[in-house]
Amino acid sequence: MIEFSNVSKRYENGTKALENVSLNIDRGEFVFIVGSSGAGKSTLIKLMLREEKPTSGIIHVNGFNLNKIKRRQIPKFRRTLGVVFQDFRLIPYMTAYDNVAFALRVTNVSSRDIRRRVPYVLGLVGLASKARIVPDKLSGGEQQRVALARALVNNPDLIIADEPTGNIDPELSFEIVELLHEINKMGTTIVMVTHEHELVSHFNHRVITIENGTVVSDAPEYQEESGGYL
Amino acid sequence: MKTSSFGYLVKEGTRSLWVNRLMSTAAIGVLAACMILVGAAGLFAANVSNIVSYFEDENEIVVFLQDGIDQKGVDDANLKIRMMSNVSEANFVSNEEALQEQMEKYGEYAWLLEEYQGEENMLPHAFRVKVKELEKLEQTAQDLLDMEEVQEVRVPTEVAHTLLGIRSVVTWCGTAIVAILLVVSLLIIANTIKITVFNRRKEISIMKYVGATDSFIKLPFVVEGLLLGLISALLAYMIVWGGYVYVMEWAGTVESAWLQELYRYFVPFEQVYKVLLASFCAIGVGIGSFGSMVFVGKYLKV
Repeated sequence: MIEFSNVSKRYENGTKALENVSLNIDRGEFVFIVGSSGAGKSTLIKLMLREEKPTSGIIHVNGFNLNKIKRRQIPKFRRTLGVVFQDFRLIPYMTAYDNVAFALRVTNVSSRDIRRRVPYVLGLVGLASKARIVPDKLSGGEQQRVALARALVNNPDLIIADEPTGNIDPELSFEIVELLHEINKMGTTIVMVTHEHELVSHFNHRVITIENGTVVSDAPEYQEESGGYL
Repeated sequence: MKTSSFGYLVKEGTRSLWVNRLMSTAAIGVLAACMILVGAAGLFAANVSNIVSYFEDENEIVVFLQDGIDQKGVDDANLKIRMMSNVSEANFVSNEEALQEQMEKYGEYAWLLEEYQGEENMLPHAFRVKVKELEKLEQTAQDLLDMEEVQEVRVPTEVAHTLLGIRSVVTWCGTAIVAILLVVSLLIIANTIKITVFNRRKEISIMKYVGATDSFIKLPFVVEGLLLGLISALLAYMIVWGGYVYVMEWAGTVESAWLQELYRYFVPFEQVYKVLLASFCAIGVGIGSFGSMVFVGKYLKV
């Protein structure tokens, strides 16, 4: 599903963000990517989303070779995955319903299907009653659930979540990851970047640790004896 | 793109105009102000040009025919003059008519000229000739003088030069002012659109992340720009219209002889409204939609 082969990324200002990273994530996995600030986690996500191109190495995501993908094919590629960000990235003047529906509209889904699928997904994340509310009137946790619904609505095989709990209360963080956990059980691959030990230890999934731009460990589950994931 | 998607995007563009109403108002204000300045400068130049044209029309060459020329000679001269390409009008003035004109000018002393009537009339027959292009006045005068039937030509060269100078200044200044205003307007408008798009760069990046194509993102912005341009054009048109009609009415009531004389040659609004409206709409819609398209493009590289 995701394959990085000897991937390095050096930015134009000379910063080395990733160095010779190789990893494989299979269909149906739930993977935490952890590491301290500036370790290279965000660059890894940007490369997965084809927001950045690698300086060297090969990247395959959802059957697309991201080294060779043409600019006009990028929207098609991005429709095969769902993305959740730390800052939610909801369109402020659109209601929760419209924010979710937007992801379907860009793929030319019929209005009838939109009317059928959006309420279903909003119900799945527990926001059926708040469909007509704009993001500003929702709590952080609710906003993140709208973002999650938006990521889910296209039935993607892969969801990439970049610090999805970074801007919400700890108790709500567990709810969000619990939701991702449930989604994963239905067969969707989840890649989640986080630096919250409690979450990683609680959910016990594969943990890839990145430090100074390299993968320093890739453990099938959280290992307390090695001092967590660091 | 499906028709339903197209309809949705047009609706989004319209809605966005209202949602971002503060920036929309600023953009409309800037765009309309620029168009008002351009329109006012254009109308001023058109009026000055019209007035100068009137004075140009009043310019005529007086062509005196040879003394004792017979009717055949007059007919030949008439034909030759009318054949000239730069001649717009030629009116024959017989020596009798010329004497009558002089006597009228003399008023109560007209009796002094009475003895020159009939056989004693010393005045030559003449033609009063108007030219099409003032620039070729001297050449036309020379061509007239070269005719064998012609004894002398009187040309208002100095007046012609002055008028040509005025027209040239007005034309150049008018064009330069309109051009400068257009360039300044373009820069201000470009900046306004740039700020509008910059404020919504996050929104654009969100659209990219959910897999929107560039055209899907651009279309609402283009619709929005187009509407902004159209609203600005109509607003500017209404203001220029109102202002022009007000100035015309004012000029019509001022008790100034020279202004009343000039007033007859002001360009009526009915004569220019189509060009003005079409230009404003073209400028507004063109700048609005094209500007949006270009600047949105800059934020699409996500």
